Amino acid sequence: MLHHQLPWYIAGPVLGLCVVACRGLFNARLGVTGGFSEIVARVGRGSLAFDWRGWFAIGIVLGGAAFALAAGGPGFDGYGWLTATFHGTGRVAIAAVLVVAGVLIGYGAKSAGGCTSGNGLTATSLLSPAGLVSTATFFGTAIVVTVVLRAVI
Amino acid sequence: MRTRAAGAVIGVVFGFTLCWSGMSDPNVIREALLFQAAYLFLMFAAAVAVATAGVHLLRRGQRRALLTGAPLGWVRERPARRHVTGSVLFGIGWALADACPGPIAAQLGGGVPWAVFTMAGAVAGVALFLRRGGAELEPAADAPTGSGVSRTRDLRLASFLTTRPAGTIRSTMCSPSDNPAKDPNHA
Repeated sequence: MLHHQLPWYIAGPVLGLCVVACRGLFNARLGVTGGFSEIVARVGRGSLAFDWRGWFAIGIVLGGAAFALAAGGPGFDGYGWLTATFHGTGRVAIAAVLVVAGVLIGYGAKSAGGCTSGNGLTATSLLSPAGLVSTATFFGTAIVVTVVLRAVI
Repeated sequence: MRTRAAGAVIGVVFGFTLCWSGMSDPNVIREALLFQAAYLFLMFAAAVAVATAGVHLLRRGQRRALLTGAPLGWVRERPARRHVTGSVLFGIGWALADACPGPIAAQLGGGVPWAVFTMAGAVAGVALFLRRGGAELEPAADAPTGSGVSRTRDLRLASFLTTRPAGTIRSTMCSPSDNPAKDPNHA
């Protein structure tokens, strides 16, 4: 069962209900980057006393582990276009691309005040104009970059 | 404590669902961004629809958060330049890695070795932002209650507001500054 993609009309509402749960239980914005930021800031001060956001991020790691255990693996081999493009010693390039992508993701999401979850799911559901602008911007940018990447590589 | 436990449980459900829906698979994200599959857009729309209906119904019916007792409410931010510039950087990173922070964390838990590099980069990016003086300031109505951090945030915000003449405050409040360190709505 886990080897078939969960239908979108189930997966979407479950993710939406996670946003609602954060609001109804402790009046907070669900956001994964907020969790990363909480962990980075606390660890930087030598503390492991994370607030709910840090534990939310840890929960996602555990959720990914639980799925892999239940399904017998993460559900895919290799790593998308990167392992399809770079082979042998060229695979060093994959690590470099992923580190650079990660920096852009972390720094960009912090600047914009949210990522796909914080801005894309939560802020849009609050009908926040900043969330709608951010979501349109990152979807548009990612689509353009992906189309260009496919054309060039 | 209960808030942290609830956060962790919601995280597990969120991470498990991201994997089951294929969002942790870079091939699935790439197909979506090339418009070869509608799944991501349909799922996203369904998630936003349920979240929008849910939080607005909650605010109408429940009024207070179940675990903390905080009044339910939020601040709607106006778009500032940082929302666009930050989201452009984020979008480039998302397209290169075909993963955003949730799926990166889920991949890491699922034992995808490549996720170590993306996560290392993301942590470095967040740390760079924090080191450059980007203060952690959430909208007041959204701030988690009962933690020392939110009190520090309030103090920082208060000292920022009191060190500026009244006229500047109003213009700052109306259009959030591009400098995240001075922006009270920064997440």
